[in-house]
Amino acid sequence: MKTLFKPDLTTADKPSRTRLRGLGQYGLLIAFIVVCVVLSLITPRFLTVSNLMIIVTQVSINALLAFGVTFVIITGGIDLSIGSTVAVTGVVAAMFAHPDTYPVIVPVLVGLAAGLLLGAFNGLVITKSKVPPFIVTLGTMTIGRGLALILSKGRPVSNLSDSFNFIGGGQVLGIPTPIIILIVFFIICSVLLRKTVLGRYMYAVGGNEQAAKASGIQLNKVKMVVYTLCGGLAALAGILLTSRITTGQPNAGVGFELDAIAAAIIGGTSTSGGTGTMTGTLIGALLIGVISNGLDLMNVTSYYQQVVMGIIIIGAVVLDSLNQHKNG
Amino acid sequence: MKRIIFYSFSLLIASFLTSCNQSSSGENGEKKLTVGVSMLSMQNEFIVNVHDEIEKKAKESDVELITVDAERSALKQIEQVESFIAQGVDAIIMNPCEVEASSPAVTKALAANIPIINVNSETTAKPSAFIGSDDVESARIAMKFIAEKLNGKGNVLMMHGYMGQAAQIKREQGAREVLKQYPGLKLIAHQTAEWDRAKAMALMENWIQSYGNTINAVFAQNDEMGMGAVKALTDAGLKDKVVVVSIDAIPDALQAVQKGTLNATVFQNAEQQGAQAIETAIKIAKGQSYEKETLIPFQLVTKENLAKFMK
Repeated sequence: MKTLFKPDLTTADKPSRTRLRGLGQYGLLIAFIVVCVVLSLITPRFLTVSNLMIIVTQVSINALLAFGVTFVIITGGIDLSIGSTVAVTGVVAAMFAHPDTYPVIVPVLVGLAAGLLLGAFNGLVITKSKVPPFIVTLGTMTIGRGLALILSKGRPVSNLSDSFNFIGGGQVLGIPTPIIILIVFFIICSVLLRKTVLGRYMYAVGGNEQAAKASGIQLNKVKMVVYTLCGGLAALAGILLTSRITTGQPNAGVGFELDAIAAAIIGGTSTSGGTGTMTGTLIGALLIGVISNGLDLMNVTSYYQQVVMGIIIIGAVVLDSLNQHKNG
Repeated sequence: MKRIIFYSFSLLIASFLTSCNQSSSGENGEKKLTVGVSMLSMQNEFIVNVHDEIEKKAKESDVELITVDAERSALKQIEQVESFIAQGVDAIIMNPCEVEASSPAVTKALAANIPIINVNSETTAKPSAFIGSDDVESARIAMKFIAEKLNGKGNVLMMHGYMGQAAQIKREQGAREVLKQYPGLKLIAHQTAEWDRAKAMALMENWIQSYGNTINAVFAQNDEMGMGAVKALTDAGLKDKVVVVSIDAIPDALQAVQKGTLNATVFQNAEQQGAQAIETAIKIAKGQSYEKETLIPFQLVTKENLAKFMK
């Protein structure tokens, strides 16, 4: 794999680290393939087209969240509020999605706006106050949960229109809509991260903030964009979830932030910032989804499921890091 | 300058907090009763319904309520009850988070001579009074419905709530009791979906991959999960062949029963539980006689008797 940066990048570029990332990603890919092979040997129902479609559909929500949080982690930040954003945006969208009220674009736009707003709020407080993102987004997480409960009065918002329910529950040419949405946003996020100036700035900010500042990058602007983007992607996940389960749930998305962060980290995004790819994050999310699906197919009791999941998460990261050291 | 901003900000928060609090002093000479209420989770629709009824009845009887949300944490619940004791409330209504872990709250309240009423679920320590329903019974009713629908023969799947919670344990117990009576019913798989609709949907999708056409019935330990199972089965075109039953009779579930997608749900009477809880609290506080245990019966809801439960 080639370096992720164009050679004309600012001084903040760290080509040696990014090249290692590429190699580490192969380790992850190998781990992913091994898990898939093992699962298909154990249970013949794993490797069927319909099961694979189901896995990707189930993964789509976590993957969208993970894409957003990957941007944030690359800049050296973190966003714990996305699970709550899923709930708020889901409830808000559902409130405008009752049949025979508004055209389907309205709940989508209102939901997205709510997510972007929460994200921008995070960005604003983080850049203006210099309080660590961990704390700010922890606060937003609670605020968001509260807002979702206030707006919905603690009850699920149901009775949604068929056109709204199509977003997460429909099919186009036999392919479930969440898969299509996932692919579209995977491409958009990858391009944004790898092919645009903004993407390179994100790496620069996370790699070395001082150097990035010295080379004239406006840190606050980059962070603002990144958190807003993360909020927007969380809104998308919220709308998708609401549409999939055909109801806006104020208690939806509890703990989703952890799954998303896990996907990004398994995918090779370093929590210290400066490294990470969307492909890695996608594989990370798929790995989590495949394991959870496989354990259900094998009818492994839920007690063991959690232990197995934890071991595999740690295993994947250890493998990845060993790989990086070997090549470093 | 910064300090001024800080002070005005704290002032703002303080005034906000006081305005959230309802005014407390009784208007007329007679001392107004104060009841502290600690609910398991105000994010749960059923619990919210129980609480709404408590609030309504309290208002009617001119009782002051202090409601707090334990957010599913037994530790938090104990601290809340401790704070009620410190405030010297006349009675406490607790909707316990855990059977064991919430017990110290009961012991502490009784030690401070404050009556404590458990609503909806139990604790190991005996409270002054208990108002609720027997969760084992609800699962018996649900599983019996499945057994009758399938004529005692078929493959059944069960979705658990949070493993280890009182409701999960009892609903599993009730379901298994009935399964034992019908040897023709086979429990082919059981798994937790943590009371959650989205998780239940994913689990059902995975089960359909595993068992497909061999599934005859699904018992979900609450309606949220039942709705998730219905959605997945409908999407897979299997709903007509599979009987789905769940518990709680939330509005969504009632609508699904009306549409015929959910075959049955079991009604747990939130209003009755809430009303009886506050009435008992008032009786104890006033020194009147009261029932130590009030069990409110469950009712099976099907298309036939649905009208009674729709509001």
